[in-house]
Amino acid sequence: MALLEGRGLSMAFGGLLALRGVDIAIEEHQVVGLLGPNGSGKTTLFNILSGLLRPTAGEVWFSGCRVTNLAPWRLSGLGVGRTFQIARPFAHSTVLDNVLVGITFRSRHRYRRTLDRRREAERLLATVGLAEKAPARATELSLGERKRLELAMALSTRPTVLLLDELASGLSPKGREEVVRFYGRLKERGLTIFAIEHAFRILAHVADRLVVLDQGTIVAEGRPEQVLGSPRVVQAYLGDDDGP
Amino acid sequence: MSLNTLAQALVSGALLGCFYTLMALAFSMILGVTRALNLAHGDLIILGGYLGYWLWSGSGLHPLFLVPVAAAALLPLALVWHWLFHRLPEPRELSSLVLTFGLSLLLQNIMLALWRGEYRLIASESLTGSLSLGGLRLNQGRLIVAVAALLVVGGLFVGLTRTRWGRAIRATSLDRDAAALLGINVDEATRTTFILAFGLCGAAGVLFATLHYLYPAGGIELTLLAIVLTIWAGVGRLRSVLAAGILLGVIEALTLAWSGPRWRELVVALMLLGSLLARSGGLARGWSH
Repeated sequence: MALLEGRGLSMAFGGLLALRGVDIAIEEHQVVGLLGPNGSGKTTLFNILSGLLRPTAGEVWFSGCRVTNLAPWRLSGLGVGRTFQIARPFAHSTVLDNVLVGITFRSRHRYRRTLDRRREAERLLATVGLAEKAPARATELSLGERKRLELAMALSTRPTVLLLDELASGLSPKGREEVVRFYGRLKERGLTIFAIEHAFRILAHVADRLVVLDQGTIVAEGRPEQVLGSPRVVQAYLGDDDGP
Repeated sequence: MSLNTLAQALVSGALLGCFYTLMALAFSMILGVTRALNLAHGDLIILGGYLGYWLWSGSGLHPLFLVPVAAAALLPLALVWHWLFHRLPEPRELSSLVLTFGLSLLLQNIMLALWRGEYRLIASESLTGSLSLGGLRLNQGRLIVAVAALLVVGGLFVGLTRTRWGRAIRATSLDRDAAALLGINVDEATRTTFILAFGLCGAAGVLFATLHYLYPAGGIELTLLAIVLTIWAGVGRLRSVLAAGILLGVIEALTLAWSGPRWRELVVALMLLGSLLARSGGLARGWSH
């Protein structure tokens, strides 16, 4: 059974159709990559799946329940996690405080004591390799470190499925590889991953499946070697890989 | 200006500034959480003042007892505002101006109908008189208002920094989407913000009515002051709002001591213009996300 599913999802912004009847199913304990040119609807799909946008048509299902139009905090409570770019004001808090928000407000696995919350935040920061940066302000982090913090914040809600939005973009080739390898580690810990990533050749190493979106429709889908094996798909929809 | 006059102006300005902080916080909190400007802010304070006046003249209770009563009396309006703001179309900053300008006029006319255009003041005897402190004369009423305002602001500060609902409000104010994705019920946080802010308006209204005469159109000036302070301090920054409030009180008192009441409003208006030109950081910081 699919853990997270979109059925016939359409999204119109005024006259613009950002998604046209997208059917997508993310199986449990898989890493699925979402690829496609800019403006193809990837982020819109993520926004619908995480509850930030209500689809014009279609349904979202999570773990066998219909969750369409559920508020983001309800979906987060059910186990849908999502990375987002850390906005400027959040960035003025310390790295530790940023991670503490999700731990404090999640509806499951709640801790009553501040000390327990703090310990988990420190553990999460250690997981992403930011343990020493805990007291630093988020503004002081390098781009790579900031991406790790985004990941730690998404993990702080204890999700079962994680939507990752271009976590590796803008990093050095080595940094990108490190991040994408990390997806594999998360999968081993039992997480299900749905990731937008430009560096699709790196992603292909860890992904179980790739989905290619263009102009709001899925144009290719399958095992990485199938999708990337088709020169037409690579040329037409993916352009140049920014990976090594 | 003698040294004593200067010191006198500084102290009474600082006392007034504590009240300004209380008044501006409600405006700043609503702006932070909803990205909407509440132009009816000052009218709500005046309404709180009238309610306080009405209860005081009917019961003769000490005005300080009426502070929580007026705060509670405005809470039903908080839910009305919340309901209306929830339905604002984008861009919210702009549509909120139109909506709240209308609400401001509506409130003014309701107050005009209920209390007519006469000037009212909570002239409680317990607030008159002055204390002498090292050669400085402190107006007792102003001192009480300042202490009351600081207590309320202090309580709010503790609530916003130490409690779960306070953290939810602050996170929602910083980044609504991020807060929602991290499990914070941002709708609930918004409702709590409205309830707190309207409570603050009611409390500020009673305190205001002990300092100044009330009249139905008096809210505009208070709204203007709240906007100036929010621009100076940035949205949702409690300590900066306190500093800005005291600074504004001192500047106003110095202007009064220097030139009399003629220039007071002009100086405030000039400060608004000046701060808009000099600091795009204040309001813009709240709007940038």
